[in-house]
Amino acid sequence: MNCEIEKTESRRFGSLYRIKHPSGLTVLLSQMKGFKSSYAVFGTAYGSVDTLIKTEKDGEFIKLPEGIAHYLEHKLFESEECSAFERYAKTGASANAYTSFDRTGYLFSCSDNFSESLEILLDFVTHPYFTAETVAKEQGIIGQEIRMYDDSPDWRVLFNLLCALYSKNPVRIDIAGTQESISHITAELLYKCYDKFYNLHNMVLAAAGDINVDEVISAADKILKPAEPFFIERGSCGEPEEVVQNYTEQHLPVSVPMFSIGFKGKPGTEKENFKGSVLDEIFIDALFDDYTPAYRSLYDEGVINSTFGSEVFCGRDYIALMISGESRDPQRVCDAVRAEFINAMENGISNEAFECAQKSVYGRYLRSTERAEGVATMLFNGYFPGVEPEELMDIAAFATPDSVMERVRNVYSAENYALSVIKP
Amino acid sequence: MGRLIRKKIGNEVYINSVRDEKFKSDRITVNLITPLDRKEATVNALVPFVLRKGCKSCPDFTELNKRLAKMYGAILDADVSKQGGFQIVELLLQFADDKFAINGEEMVKEGAKLLSDIVFDPNLDENGLFPKKDLELEKEYLIDTINSDLNDKRTYAIHRAVEMEFEGEPFGVSRYGYAEEAEKITGEELAAAWRRLIKTARIEIMFVGPGDPAAVEEVFAKRLALAEREPLETEKAPLVPYKEHKEAKEAMDIVQGKLVMGFRMGAPATEREKNAARVLSAMYGGTPFSKLFMNVREKLSLCYYVTSHFERGTGVMFVDCGIEFESRDEAQSEILRQLENIANGGITEEELAGTKLIIKNSLGSVEDSLSGIDNWYMTCVLDGLILTPEEDAAEIDKITAEEVAAMAKRAKLSAVFFLEGGKAK
Repeated sequence: MNCEIEKTESRRFGSLYRIKHPSGLTVLLSQMKGFKSSYAVFGTAYGSVDTLIKTEKDGEFIKLPEGIAHYLEHKLFESEECSAFERYAKTGASANAYTSFDRTGYLFSCSDNFSESLEILLDFVTHPYFTAETVAKEQGIIGQEIRMYDDSPDWRVLFNLLCALYSKNPVRIDIAGTQESISHITAELLYKCYDKFYNLHNMVLAAAGDINVDEVISAADKILKPAEPFFIERGSCGEPEEVVQNYTEQHLPVSVPMFSIGFKGKPGTEKENFKGSVLDEIFIDALFDDYTPAYRSLYDEGVINSTFGSEVFCGRDYIALMISGESRDPQRVCDAVRAEFINAMENGISNEAFECAQKSVYGRYLRSTERAEGVATMLFNGYFPGVEPEELMDIAAFATPDSVMERVRNVYSAENYALSVIKP
Repeated sequence: MGRLIRKKIGNEVYINSVRDEKFKSDRITVNLITPLDRKEATVNALVPFVLRKGCKSCPDFTELNKRLAKMYGAILDADVSKQGGFQIVELLLQFADDKFAINGEEMVKEGAKLLSDIVFDPNLDENGLFPKKDLELEKEYLIDTINSDLNDKRTYAIHRAVEMEFEGEPFGVSRYGYAEEAEKITGEELAAAWRRLIKTARIEIMFVGPGDPAAVEEVFAKRLALAEREPLETEKAPLVPYKEHKEAKEAMDIVQGKLVMGFRMGAPATEREKNAARVLSAMYGGTPFSKLFMNVREKLSLCYYVTSHFERGTGVMFVDCGIEFESRDEAQSEILRQLENIANGGITEEELAGTKLIIKNSLGSVEDSLSGIDNWYMTCVLDGLILTPEEDAAEIDKITAEEVAAMAKRAKLSAVFFLEGGKAK
C-alpha cells in the first residue's frame, strides 16, 4: 500500500519518520544509531476519563462503568486461541500495557524478532474477542489489582488530592474503577467502547531504537484494515476553577506521614496544556528543587526528606502542579510551599534559580532521548496534543524568566490549592 | 560498543570502563565494597548520605546542588545496596557529555573531580568530624528510609521474608541497617566508618558513556596514589545450603494479603547450575506465560501479580503474590503444585524455548542504557566472572529441560511469610 512518508534528521532524536498509513494510522519512528534493541507502543486516545460515550452521531450520551478503559486493556490480550503473551513467547519480546487518564498504550521491547513482535502487537490490539466467561474471569484479577492500590499510600495520596481539587472532572475517578463499578462491565459494553475509541484514526504507533522502516510498513500493510471515518464528541465536564476543599486526610499504615500539595490550574486546549507544562516544570523546579532556599530551609528544619519532589500533572482538560513527599509535619510544609508560591507570583523567580531549573529540565529531556523507551514514549505522548518532541525541548531551551512567569500567572493562583495527607 | 576495560589503579582499587558513543551522558559510579556485617551495616549505610551533602571543594549543600543543576541537571545519587555477602556503598554521578556542553566545558573531567571530592575529600572539621547538623539530619532520614518499607506492603512482606530466610546468616543483614542502631551513631563513629571504608573496602569505579575514560582514570589514580590502603578480603560468600523451613505471619490494617515464599536449592555451585536456576525461576514465575501467571492468576483468578525471582548472590528463589486473605491456602498449594509439575518434567518445548528467548531478549537490551551497562558489569565483577550479555545469552541457550526439572526437584521450601488483615500488634 502507498504511505505518505516524511523523514527528518535530528541531532537529538536520530532519523525521524512520520508515516501516514492508508489504513488511517499514523506511525512515528526514530532510528537510533548504535542501538541493538527497540521499543514500540501502539495506543489510543482513550482512558479512564472517557466515562461517557455516544455511539451514533445524534444519539444520547451513555454513562459507562468506572474503570472500563482499563478493563478493556486487560481483555484485549485475549483472543479465541491464546493470550497475546503466549504469542510473544515465540518472539521473546517483553510486553506490557497501561491505561492512564486519557491514553491506553500497548507496548513491547525486544532485541530480536522486531517485525514478528510488531505483527503480534498490531494484530491483537485490532482483533478484540470477549465473551461472558472471559469477562467474568477478569473480575477476580482486576479486583486484586484494585485492592493492591487501596493499600498503596502513594496511590491514595494522589487520588485523595485529585478528589480535593476536582469536583466534576472524571480525573478524580480511580483508573481501575471500584470492585462495585467493574461488576457492571459486560462483553457488550466492552465491544461498544472498543468500536468507538479503537479506531486507527484515533490511534498512533510509535517505535524507536534499532528500527527498519520497511519492516514496519509491511507489518502494517499485512495486519491493518482501513478504518471507518472517526468522529468524537467530548462534552465539557463543567469543572469550576475553584477546588473542592483545601485539606483531605486518610489513615493507612505508613512509617512517616505522606503528603501531596496540588495547585489547580486553568486548563487550555490539550496542546496548550502540554506545551505549557514545560514552562510550569521550570517554574516549580526553580521554586522547590534541591538547590532552592525553600528546599534547604525545610530540609534543615527536618520536615522534608529526599522523597520531596514536584511534577506537573497535565492532560486533555486538566493541569495542576503537585509537590509531594514524606513529612512529620505536612501542614508546615504546605504553609511554606504556599508562602513561596505567593512570593514567586508577586516577585518572579531569580535569574540563578531560573538558570538551574532550565538546565535541569532540559537535561531531563535529553536523558530521555538516549533510551529507545524514552524516545518512543515522547513520540507517543506528543502525538495526540500535536507537539513534536523537538518542539518540546525547544520550549525548554528558549524559555526565559518572563515567559515562565507570564504563563504561570495566567494559569495558577495560590488560592486554588489542596493538601492531601496520609497519616499512620 | 567497546568491551569492558578493567584496570587496577591501586591496592584492590579498580577502574572499569565501557566507552559507548551512542549515549549523550556519561556516568561514573564509585562502589565501596565491604563484607556484610551486622555491627557495621548501619553506620556504613549512613556514610553515603552524609557524603552527598558536600565536600571540601563545595561544602554547602545548596551550592553543590546548584552546581549539579548547571551541569544540565546532573544526577548525584547516594545509596547502599547488598549483593550476596557484600554491602556496597555507592555514589554515582551522571551528567551531559562534553559534546552537549554549550560552552565547551570539559564535563568528564569536571564530573570525575567532583565525584572524587565527594567520596574522598569530604567536608570534615578540624577534629576530622562531619558537620554535626548533617549527622543529626541524615541519621533521622536514614531511620525514615529503614522504616519506609512499611509504605509499600509488597516490599515490606518481601523484606520480612528475607529476614526470616537468612536469620542468623550474613545474607540476612539489612542493607540500610537498623533504626535502633542508627539513633546511637556518634560523630566519631561516623567519621571512623568513612575512614575504614576508604581504607579497607574494595573500590570499584565504573565509567560508562561516550566520554574519554582516561580523564576519569587520571583523576582517581592521582587521588588514590596517596591513599593508605589495607583492603579486607572480599571473597564471595558460599551460596546458602538447605535449612529447616520456617513460617510466620503478621497482621496489619490492609485490604490485600501478601504471601512470600522462599526456596533453597542446596547451593547451586557451578555456573551451569546457576543458569539452570535462572531458567527455572523465569519459567516458574518470571514471565507473563509462566506456570504461576497462567495458573494462579489466569486460571484461578486468585491474584493480579505473582512472580518468582532467583537471587544470584545467595542461590535462593523467592515467590510473591497479593491475594484475598482467605485464598492463602489455595494460593500456596497451587504455587507448590506448579513447582512439582516442573520437577516432574511438565515442561513443553515451546515453554522452554519461550522462556529462554525472553531472557536472551532482555540481555540484548542491557547495552542500550547507561544503568544497564553499569549494573551488568558491576554484577559480573562481584561475581568474579566477566561475560558480555551475548556470552551470557549463549550459556542460557545450553540449558535443557532436564536440567530445569532437576533444579526444580532440588528446590525446597525454606520460608513462608504472610501479611494478613486485622489489627497490627
